[in-house]
Amino acid sequence: MTFRKMLLASVAIACAAIPASALADTSGKKIALSNNYAGNSWRQAMLTSWEKVTGEAVKAGVVAAADAFTTAENQATEQAAQIQNMILQGYDAIVLNAASPTALNGAVKEACDAGITVVSFDGIVTEPCAWRIAVDFKEMGRSQVEYLSKKLPNGGNLLEIRGLAGVFVDDEISAGIHEGVKQFPQFKIVGSVHGDWAQDVAQKAVAGVLPSLPEVIGVVTQGGDGYGAAQAIAAAKRPMPVIVMGNREDELKWWKEQKDANGYETMSVSIAPGVSTLAFWVAQQILDGKEVKKDLVVPFLRIDQDNLEQNLANTQAGGVANVEYTQADAIKVIESAK
Amino acid sequence: MRLLDRISRRPWIWSWFAAFLAWFATIVTGGASTLGLSQAALTFAAFSIIVGIGQMFVITLGPGNIDLSVPSTMTLAGTVALKLMDVDNAMILPGLMIAVLIGIAVGVFNYALIKALRIPPIIATLSMSFIIQSAAIWTNRGLRIKPPSVLADFTTATTLGVPNVSLVALVISVCAWFLLEKTIYGRWISAIGQSMPAARMAGIPVDGTRFVTYLFCAVLAALAGYLLACFSGGAALNMGTEYLLMSIAVVVLGGTAVAGGDSNVPGIWGASLFMFLVVSMLNTYGLGAGIRLIMTGLIIISVIMLAGGRQPGAR
Repeated sequence: MTFRKMLLASVAIACAAIPASALADTSGKKIALSNNYAGNSWRQAMLTSWEKVTGEAVKAGVVAAADAFTTAENQATEQAAQIQNMILQGYDAIVLNAASPTALNGAVKEACDAGITVVSFDGIVTEPCAWRIAVDFKEMGRSQVEYLSKKLPNGGNLLEIRGLAGVFVDDEISAGIHEGVKQFPQFKIVGSVHGDWAQDVAQKAVAGVLPSLPEVIGVVTQGGDGYGAAQAIAAAKRPMPVIVMGNREDELKWWKEQKDANGYETMSVSIAPGVSTLAFWVAQQILDGKEVKKDLVVPFLRIDQDNLEQNLANTQAGGVANVEYTQADAIKVIESAK
Repeated sequence: MRLLDRISRRPWIWSWFAAFLAWFATIVTGGASTLGLSQAALTFAAFSIIVGIGQMFVITLGPGNIDLSVPSTMTLAGTVALKLMDVDNAMILPGLMIAVLIGIAVGVFNYALIKALRIPPIIATLSMSFIIQSAAIWTNRGLRIKPPSVLADFTTATTLGVPNVSLVALVISVCAWFLLEKTIYGRWISAIGQSMPAARMAGIPVDGTRFVTYLFCAVLAALAGYLLACFSGGAALNMGTEYLLMSIAVVVLGGTAVAGGDSNVPGIWGASLFMFLVVSMLNTYGLGAGIRLIMTGLIIISVIMLAGGRQPGAR
């Protein structure tokens, strides 16, 4: 048997058994994570998940390396330079959480031209040569209003807490919420503030606008801001509206306390930080030679009244409710997009 | 008339005037409840006041003096103190001590970089802030521990209708005012801000004074971080972020000379209240984020123009 035949045979065997093929074909490949920000609990959970899942993958020999890099200043120019460094360092794939959907396109194109696979997730890029793993943020916003319409069929006034002004995700979720209000016209948004996805900023913004608002029966949020809103409303001694939460541990804990004390009901929805691991497996599958569509959709993680306790128990203190994805999950997502 | 004339020459009067206008507009045209809005404004202004006073002392030292490590110091002090206290009421004082110690350490390192390595303050404190922020991330990866119940109650409660945190800010402000106006130290920092070579010639211990000032600023930032973390029910890694620009803005808006050598404490109060109220006002009107930011910028520019129109020599 010549070497060539041996290779062919091993490929044939590998094709028969998918997990083995991963071992055979990508074990020499290096994947890098380019991350633009690490300063909040969601991003910390995202990096921890990455470390855990890719650490095991490297140990198992699925890939040669999976290094995570985070820029210090959350700026597109800095991240573009970081991507250029990764090209020089000879990575085979770059998994990217981008500071801007468009400003990195030049650097991403350079990477593609150098034969590097670029998979963007969460903060996606519009450059056509890159893959995108996006959350249907619009639906995430709309589903909140839909939930409220079932819970409060008579409707009423809503307070909207938005994220960071000028960021794509903020615009999308907010558009979804406004779509939802159009769909369920019994609701009216009486106030809208920017909470920057941070509890203390949300608390400050809500406390500032609350004195001028009529009675609010629901608060629609973007995640990371529900607990701050609850604090501000409690401080103003107003009746507690239904605050849609965003899967943060402090939010879930507060919800659990309220549920035990007075039967408080709400729901919680956000994107799981473990989506970074899904992006990792998708990149690995692409390197493996799989046909993968450029646009993939990852489901968001929703917590309801009945599975609150279970999710709270699984959530690390100070963290975010999380799901870590496996290679099989990634294959399923890829298959379902076809 | 002479009284009015004298008052209008006070550099701090404009920030108070602007704060009052924003407060009035929010209540009259926005229909806000007077008590609710006033309490919220006093509460949230308190944090800007505490960090603003520290920043004001540094800025008074003259051109180029600024502390950019304020937000990360707040974050580190908040996270470490809450981790140490771990919801235990008996640990409140040790928690406060550790926050102050962190402030002292940051101040020492800041000034060491500035003096020993001759790095300009803006670069020294910026690089320091990266180190501190990384230390905060490293200590507990954004773990959100609840504050001890006594402390949480204290920071969120009011005394005779006045929020407790604003009373803390008041005590600190009075001390700062006393330091600045009544002690030799206050004279020294003003003198250094007006002309460092002249101050040196006059025999003022320039290095010692600058060192103490950077230390003071870092300790106040740490204290603000400690209070803010207890107030908002736990420390977060990004909790200090907005206080970087806020601490500088309230100093400038308050009528302190950016070029140094001339500062005032009451202006910090007016400016801090104003910065909170203007956002509340624009939020109440329900304007979009873009317009809101433009309006905030325009309003700040006009207040600074008014405050800057004082006669030379007038204090």
